[in-house]
Amino acid sequence: MQNLVINYYDTAAMILFGVGFMTLLLNNNLIKKIIGMNIMDTSIFLFFIVKGYIQGNRAPIYESMADGGAHFINPLPSALMLTGIVVAVSTTAFALALTIRIHDVYGTIELDEVIEKRRTGYERH
Amino acid sequence: MNVIKMFPVVIILLLLLTAFGLPIVKKKKIVFQISLATIFIAFVMSGVTLNYVTQVGDYLLRIGPYDIPWGITFRIGYIEALMAMLFTGVSLMVGWYGVYSIHKDIEEKHIKYYYLLLHILLASLLGIVFTNDLFNGYVFVEATTLSSCGLIIIKNNKSTSKATFKYLIMSVLGSGLLLMGIAFLYAVTGHLNIGEVHRELVKVAAEKHNIVVISLSLLLVGLGVKGAMFPLHTWLPDAHSSAPSTSSALLSSLVLKAPVVFLIKIMYQVYGLDIIHTTPIFTILLILGLAGMILGSIFAINQKEIKRVIAYSTVAQMGYIFFGMGLGTEMGLMVSLFHVFAHALTKAMLFLCVGSMMEQSGYKYKDEFRGIGKEMPVTLGAFTLGALSMVGIPIFPGFISKWYYSIATINAGQYIFLGFILVSSLLNAVYYFPIVINGYFGKDNVKGKIYRAKYKPVKEVLPLAVLAIAMVMISGYSSTLLEYFKFGLNLK
Repeated sequence: MQNLVINYYDTAAMILFGVGFMTLLLNNNLIKKIIGMNIMDTSIFLFFIVKGYIQGNRAPIYESMADGGAHFINPLPSALMLTGIVVAVSTTAFALALTIRIHDVYGTIELDEVIEKRRTGYERH
Repeated sequence: MNVIKMFPVVIILLLLLTAFGLPIVKKKKIVFQISLATIFIAFVMSGVTLNYVTQVGDYLLRIGPYDIPWGITFRIGYIEALMAMLFTGVSLMVGWYGVYSIHKDIEEKHIKYYYLLLHILLASLLGIVFTNDLFNGYVFVEATTLSSCGLIIIKNNKSTSKATFKYLIMSVLGSGLLLMGIAFLYAVTGHLNIGEVHRELVKVAAEKHNIVVISLSLLLVGLGVKGAMFPLHTWLPDAHSSAPSTSSALLSSLVLKAPVVFLIKIMYQVYGLDIIHTTPIFTILLILGLAGMILGSIFAINQKEIKRVIAYSTVAQMGYIFFGMGLGTEMGLMVSLFHVFAHALTKAMLFLCVGSMMEQSGYKYKDEFRGIGKEMPVTLGAFTLGALSMVGIPIFPGFISKWYYSIATINAGQYIFLGFILVSSLLNAVYYFPIVINGYFGKDNVKGKIYRAKYKPVKEVLPLAVLAIAMVMISGYSSTLLEYFKFGLNLK
């Protein structure tokens, strides 16, 4: 229990991950699914970046090398998560485009209505 | 620096560079020529790489100017080079087949984008296979997902949009879990390079046992979604059956296999057998694999659309691969890798045959294909060869892998699983043979029927013939392949 409070960043990341995961999995609305996906990705970014953070140290910017870089945080997780953000953004863009396509075809973005319309042969009209 | 050593990077760069050159080409014919020539060059270069590996053994390849703990590296060995040959070879055949048939599935103006996506897909698949860096692997996995979604949605009809969305959602779940698993590994080891992670993980594994279990299960489920492990396969039948048939062939034979290869890499190079044996991962793999083998086949029997039958058959065959991994022995793993080969070649051929039968006759339900053998004997013949291999008739690779699976099960001392292999083979026969038998001998449909299938020139069936020959060849060279896998795995 005490560990959860001390590592409160990790705890927050895990809670966010759960929220995002369940939204993505269980929500019926496609836009809300995509929002859930973004929450899940963001929680992973938080979790990853915290691993490189050292309390009280500076951002690793080159011009302030007076102390030989001893007080820098680990820049690698931040750099990796930039790539992760790019991946998440492109996935989101693709998912939104797909949602537009689904709305054009079925006239709704609620998943159960889409399934209902497929089952009743709406698509043949 | 030795030029041949750089070939794996050159293959990926070549594919990516030509991919973005394709949309500016005006003539369709030139798009086909550029694309096929590039993939053929990639195939030849993979062959040269394999030859080089047989001479010098496996090696690490540095990408960019940084050394190992910081920079990204590729690891090229027997398995990687063989997989590269398989992936480029199958895509070459599928791309060649697509030259004659793709315009029937998608709009004329989208053809060049189709080949663009094919190049990106192939490059990212090869990236997953070659990479020696976990995060790099994740990025390639995401690139694979997006490009394969593109390959489904490019056929502009109503069922693809829903199938693609389902596939995308499941894949995003999978890659979220994968990235979380990598984050946990990074948290305890501070590295992303597979070799370095392994070195550090061995030191802390006993102390951080929980994190080992959590990260391994996250990676297993994440890659299991991508590789259609049994209860996570729900996206597969929709996606594979609604896609254009060339895309189905690629998705089923290649896109599922690269995550499996990545999972094998993670299990054996990051964790290593000693650590994995402290976790229940092998048992889970074994049970899920067996469930996939049996239930995938049972689902396939109940399907009416012919493409869904074959899609569910893929679930069953992936079950074999996970089953072999779950045995936890060197033999089981070797056979699983061989089955990756066997299934990739066979399933690509089956999907292309079915696609060709569907587009020529205009049918899609399996009962409607009675008497199709009178119209298209060669195509149905190729389908028959594939079906025989899936069921496990001698001289076909499906038999070889089932034979070695049986030996591996006996060696592992788990005789009860022999029964599962046997039952699964019989179930395969239950849904494949009626299609073949009705196709050749089903008469009730033929009477008074107007033959809609037009004459198909020989050159259009050539890709199928090449795949069939390759299929028989790999069962002929199965012992060599297994030996190479053994060298490549290099287990102590």
